Amino acid sequence: MQEAPVSFKLRADRALADPTLKIAIDRTTGTAERKRAVAMTQFPQFEAARERGKRIKNHVIANLDHYLLEFERNAIASGAKVHWASTAEEASQIVVALCKQANAKRVTRVKSMLGEEIGLPHALDEAGIERVETDLAEHIVQLGGDRPSHIVWPSMHRTREQVSEMFKRAHRVPHQEETIEAMVASARRELRDKFLSADVSISGANFLIADTGATCTVTNEGNAELTTTPPRVHIVTAGIEKLVPSTEHAFLMLRLLVRSATGADVTQYTTFHCGPKQAGDRDGPEEFHIVLVDNGRTRMLADPALKEMLRCLRCGACMNHCVVFRQLGGHVYGGTYPGPMGAVLTPVFDGLEQSRDLAHACTMNGKCQEVCPVAIPIPTLLRGWRDRSWREGLEPAAARFGLGIHTFVASRPRLYRLGTAIAIKVMRLFSRGGLVRGMPGLGAWTKYREFPAPAKRSFMAMYKDSEGKR
Amino acid sequence: MSARETILNAVRAGLDSRKVDAEAARREADALLQDLDAIRPKLPAGALVDAFIARVTSPKVAATAERIKDITELPAAVRRYLDAHDLPPHVALQPAAVLEDLDWVALETRDGVKPDDVVGIGIARWGIAETGSLVFHSGPETPILANFLPLHHIVMVRERSILAFLDDYAVAVAGQRPPRNVNLITGASGTTDIEGSLVLGAHGPAHLHVVIVENDIHGDIDADKSTPGASS
Ligand code: SF4
Repeated sequence: MQEAPVSFKLRADRALADPTLKIAIDRTTGTAERKRAVAMTQFPQFEAARERGKRIKNHVIANLDHYLLEFERNAIASGAKVHWASTAEEASQIVVALCKQANAKRVTRVKSMLGEEIGLPHALDEAGIERVETDLAEHIVQLGGDRPSHIVWPSMHRTREQVSEMFKRAHRVPHQEETIEAMVASARRELRDKFLSADVSISGANFLIADTGATCTVTNEGNAELTTTPPRVHIVTAGIEKLVPSTEHAFLMLRLLVRSATGADVTQYTTFHCGPKQAGDRDGPEEFHIVLVDNGRTRMLADPALKEMLRCLRCGACMNHCVVFRQLGGHVYGGTYPGPMGAVLTPVFDGLEQSRDLAHACTMNGKCQEVCPVAIPIPTLLRGWRDRSWREGLEPAAARFGLGIHTFVASRPRLYRLGTAIAIKVMRLFSRGGLVRGMPGLGAWTKYREFPAPAKRSFMAMYKDSEGKR
Repeated sequence: MSARETILNAVRAGLDSRKVDAEAARREADALLQDLDAIRPKLPAGALVDAFIARVTSPKVAATAERIKDITELPAAVRRYLDAHDLPPHVALQPAAVLEDLDWVALETRDGVKPDDVVGIGIARWGIAETGSLVFHSGPETPILANFLPLHHIVMVRERSILAFLDDYAVAVAGQRPPRNVNLITGASGTTDIEGSLVLGAHGPAHLHVVIVENDIHGDIDADKSTPGASS
């Protein structure tokens, strides 16, 4: 199912030419942006909470070996089995081996981006194990035979009309009415007996709680608990950066994560899993496995230019607010993670040579950093990749010309600020009524799209002003 | 070298092989929990129970709620709910003695929950005013599936076990052995996966009704089996 590698520019052109994609993206990201904005007005403590959240994650990262060992000790004490995987392949091999050991015919899965990152869907399919995606969006992705295009709404590239068609083809008792309610009910009917008849369930984790050994997931549909409770074996896969010291710390992070992701204050379900079924329990798995995955994270830890990315909560706010993502959608990024955070992470997983274009597909408007609940300086990290790509000679001659100027300017802060100021003036020249149209050099981009003209002054300039006022 | 050693070594190398002082880490982690009021939302003034109900019934949570004086009034409250929603008089009870011991009069009750149950009745250990959440711990009297299978979930919670903030729940259970599952449930199940529009009743319940009991209830769920010690 892996697509043949095509260049970023080609993928971008295709996305821009797709008439329904932009509609689909706007419907979801537009709602997400509005709801987050409302949530922020109701949470004036956000700035202070975000500063604290950033410090909590930094604290964990600075003491990561300590917390990993504490978590492992407590998880084992709760009856869990803890596995470690250095690479994506190792991680998916461990999971597949556990499924085989359990003689699993059918495996139910709860959406987890780490599962996507380690190629789990593919590995299970290869092993001939029936894989049932129980998250509605992942169910849609599975039916469509494609890949998630957003980390919170994996099927946001589909319009309701497309979903309706897929459900009618695949479901045993499909919906009659053309409403989203009826489609959701159709999926509920279709998946219910599968929850109860699976041999193994696989899920991810939003947090790993060091002082209890529990894993924490936040979900809305109720599929996670229906998935992980009945089967005899439950496997959790989680990145090693997911640790927090205690349940209390997890709640602080949760307030930031959920508001940033969906604009709600909490998700409908926040569940802590701690070990297998205990004496007297009415339900729950007999075996509980946790696979701790590195896959590039220790490399990021050792790299000052990437270390801050380990704070990422996978909330998706940066992509919902990214002008580029909102034009192109997630598939264009070509990796597991799309949008601004994906542009930082994909070179870590897939190599810079494969993905160097991503760092360029950025207007440096700073919006991602502004909305990030743990204040990750994404534009700075992207600039780091640009510089590295340049230094390593990965840029082809044509790009080197443009980039050369950029790098030259970027390494001289005063010129850089001037440079952005000039760029903004140039873009405004081509804008009419606030929209940029047909600016030379943007080619396919402006052929299909209009995008908002830049604010009259750059983010940096406004930021400096606001700092001065403090 | 095992993957475990490889990873731990790489982490240590990434941290410049600095030796972690566990005590210092703990102190720093504790310090990060200070001054919570500066980093969490404010609760409305007034009684906790009112704040809880306001939250549960707000559009954000979109559940319904009512108060009763005594637990013996629960069957009548359930009856009213069934009538109002035009539902047949069959309910599945979470297998908790506190619920089973009630006089359910004309209602047909069943111990335990089945996949196609329409109405399930449960009891939560805590309520949280900040978010309108209900907290369940898995145990002999609390199967986890009972919270997810029924279409209508009616949950009783004691007024005295309503906490102000999420953090207060964490403090209440600190140092105890955690149950296999802790569920914080906030409203009915929902999805925004198709075009971002919210639909309730995704895979879990489509309706959540919360009944707050004013008088103290004798007998605890799972008769407090918690033993201290799991934390290090
Ligand atoms: S980078 Fe920040 S905004 Fe983007 S997903 Fe991660 S935490 Fe969220």
